[in-house]
Amino acid sequence: MKPTENDITLVEKYFDSELSAEELSYFNTRVEHDENFKALVQREKIIIGAIRNQGLIDNLLYLKSIEEKIQGDQSFPVASGIKGWYYYAAAAVIALLVAVTFLLPGQESNDELFMAYFTPYPNVVEPTLRGNDLRTDRTKVFQAYENKDYQSAAAGFEAMINIKEEPGILLLLGNSNLMLGKSEEAQENFITLIRNYDDFDLQAKWFLSLSYLKSGDTENARKILEELGETEVSYASRAKELLEKVD
Amino acid sequence: MISGEAIQNEIIQKIRSGGQTELGMIYEEYRTEFLHWITKEYDCSMDDGKDIYQLTILIFYDNIKKGKLEHLVSSVKTYLFGIGKNLAKDNMRKEKKFVPMNQEKWIKQYLIDEPDQQIDENIFALARRALEQLGQPCQRLIELFYYENKNMTEITEAMQYKNPETAKNQKCKCMARLRKLVDEEIKKNSNILNHEAY
Repeated sequence: MKPTENDITLVEKYFDSELSAEELSYFNTRVEHDENFKALVQREKIIIGAIRNQGLIDNLLYLKSIEEKIQGDQSFPVASGIKGWYYYAAAAVIALLVAVTFLLPGQESNDELFMAYFTPYPNVVEPTLRGNDLRTDRTKVFQAYENKDYQSAAAGFEAMINIKEEPGILLLLGNSNLMLGKSEEAQENFITLIRNYDDFDLQAKWFLSLSYLKSGDTENARKILEELGETEVSYASRAKELLEKVD
Repeated sequence: MISGEAIQNEIIQKIRSGGQTELGMIYEEYRTEFLHWITKEYDCSMDDGKDIYQLTILIFYDNIKKGKLEHLVSSVKTYLFGIGKNLAKDNMRKEKKFVPMNQEKWIKQYLIDEPDQQIDENIFALARRALEQLGQPCQRLIELFYYENKNMTEITEAMQYKNPETAKNQKCKCMARLRKLVDEEIKKNSNILNHEAY
């Protein structure tokens, strides 16, 4: 028997803890005496279990991406994990600022600097799981990025942001465009990200400066690098905050 | 000076209202000490130790999000080591030595074994498949609600909806779509399912 809309709403409200005492009593009676209703409750329980499962897997993948970064950053003992990126970026910004200021004879040097400092941002947005047979179109795009197939990744990310703009996707699309030599498209991606979102904005500034460098716009590259150089690395500000509380 | 207990509880509060950033912070904070301890105590490899540590952090995070852990009388470190110890002992129970863990399988079992769950494994697998088909932004929205336990105001902010009412409507629509997908999956696989369980 097909469940009624009212029953579905009742079940949803139960799992969202939105039932009044009266509704809860009615709910319990129905579970006790109505097998179809009980099955409906069981289905909802399983669905929520599947959602929680996905959440746990997503966070597990996130922890694994941090672990990979810690391994990768072992030659950088100053910081580890996801935060290590900021230290790496900060150190690179300083080095690049020096290079841009003192060693800039022409376009060729810009390209060399770009080559020396640009590494595509890792997919920490939606890391994919090896051997996962539940592959959606979206997962395939992220896998293309991880597999360095930037042509497919860019096309896929472009399609995604046409449906809904997301900061993480803009960052990876910008990186894909940079890898494909499309500096201006990449700049557009990073500028949109910086203008509209708070997430990934520091990373976007870093890659925007590199894309300016790549396209020969030294003035704008320098401007953003100076701005980045003045920011505080996240751990430093957090340590100060904690110190104030301890004192 | 703030007491140790207050600091521990502030950490819990930060995780409760936070997300992956806070998860990452905790992971990094206790990683070295935990790995040093578990590899020595249970004679396991560094990779096995990392598998246990990742699950430990996930359980800690989940307990906070579910409201099971509201405040600590000991330290976060003691709590994490306690979870790690249970996981390691459980792992060694059958073989009497440490065996590599299948984390995905472990997570599935963790959910199935939750109190009052009695989840049918076959339908659970189909629901997971249906969830994959649901796509974004629905997946993220319902994950924020049912896994991260975020309220509609927090979801509105995280996903840039117009207001909490819009977020709530969207969540109901996503759930309706997901139920339909689950029913379709169940229908498609009805020959291999035990209908009694459903």
